[in-house]
Amino acid sequence: MSDHDQFRELIEAYALGALDEQDRAALEAHLATGCAECSNALQEARWLASQLAYLAPPAEPSDMLRARLLQKVRTEASTAKSSASSRGSVPYWLWAGAAALLVVTFYSTWNARRLQMEIEAVNERAAAELRQRQQLQQQLDAAKHQAHILMDPTSKKFPMWPHDTQMPRLEATWHPEMGIFVTGEKIPMPGSHRVLQLWLIPKAPGGKPMPSRTFWPDAQGKVVVMVDNPPEVMAETKALAITEEPAGGSLQPTSTPMWVGGVS
Amino acid sequence: MFLAVLTPKDSPEVSLDATLVNRLLQRDVSAFEQLYDRHSRIVYALVLRILQQASTAEEVVQDVFLQLWRNAARYQAARGPFVPWLLTLARNRALDHLRLKSERQRRLEDQSEEPIAIAGAPPEYEKALDEKRRAERVRALIGALNPQQKKAIEMAYFEGLSHTEIAEALKEPLGTVKSWIRNGLLRLKEGLQAPS
Repeated sequence: MSDHDQFRELIEAYALGALDEQDRAALEAHLATGCAECSNALQEARWLASQLAYLAPPAEPSDMLRARLLQKVRTEASTAKSSASSRGSVPYWLWAGAAALLVVTFYSTWNARRLQMEIEAVNERAAAELRQRQQLQQQLDAAKHQAHILMDPTSKKFPMWPHDTQMPRLEATWHPEMGIFVTGEKIPMPGSHRVLQLWLIPKAPGGKPMPSRTFWPDAQGKVVVMVDNPPEVMAETKALAITEEPAGGSLQPTSTPMWVGGVS
Repeated sequence: MFLAVLTPKDSPEVSLDATLVNRLLQRDVSAFEQLYDRHSRIVYALVLRILQQASTAEEVVQDVFLQLWRNAARYQAARGPFVPWLLTLARNRALDHLRLKSERQRRLEDQSEEPIAIAGAPPEYEKALDEKRRAERVRALIGALNPQQKKAIEMAYFEGLSHTEIAEALKEPLGTVKSWIRNGLLRLKEGLQAPS
């Protein structure tokens, strides 16, 4: 095996950051010689390594994170604008000249500006309408999908019984290909910074509960949860369960199930 | 020429990401909002898998997206699609968070200095799969490996461990671990290359 072949065999592990110090130093020295084949292979290996992120169990960040982040970004955007406008300030004596120029040019630019504003307004309206249409389309698609699951004869329907008998029961429907649909009404809102989380309990002895969607009831206590792509197949799942978890959800249940429904 | 060969023909999704990132340079908040809504789930899932703690994971995800907002110019569309770049950035941030000061930390910190350089370019077989199909294929391909081999790859990727550290943890010969990781990634490559 040539030196080059030896280095070529290290590329994938280097892209993962898994090489030990000695191998890493040797490969970096080889890359520094400008070996085009190894550089190309490294680019591809880095892309390949990034695909391993999709092995992570599906999870959704909390709505609070989104709100917090957007608030920060909006604040920074408005600060940047005001700072840009203050950088544009000029000495007082120049304002007189600038004002004179403005008077002369005002009339001709006014029309252009008005036209530009009209175009922007039309564009904004079009964008808003497009967003609204996309939202409606998404809602329609979701409703069709849910209706399909509910109506399809291959779907399995089962109740999810509450641990607390004062609580209402939930209804679950599982289509082997299209996913799981859980509904319920008069469901109380979880505590502050808490969220409800759906779990798939595997049949395999000792199998750990598989985390699924986190959700809240709406203002009327209505719950509609759709899991498009359950990580487990129905035949391998013993039951569905719902627990209350910290906002953002958990990887393992941290409380007693509030609802449980046997799949088979 | 090299990049022309490696960069896939722009899919609408890839083009949209590049356009949105470009709009970040004009401090366009709605572009940021769209990028967050499109990619926060996979970024959060990755970071949570590495850190195993929801509140810390949210801190790191916030950090990653703020870095994107503040340094959008560091992403260069010509060097590869946006999502692998973002995932690499998120992984490095999460692993940095995970590590104590150690040799292992120094190794990965060196890599995290220049996210543009480590984003990687997709090969020409990359078909810009949507996120759901991509996740299904990657899980199926890695899931088909023997459990120890899969474990070794996950330890390298999600825990940032080196060959030697993985060999010690799994009590397997170093050469075996090296082969597992390389062959596993090559199997993933072949699987992604095959027609879906």
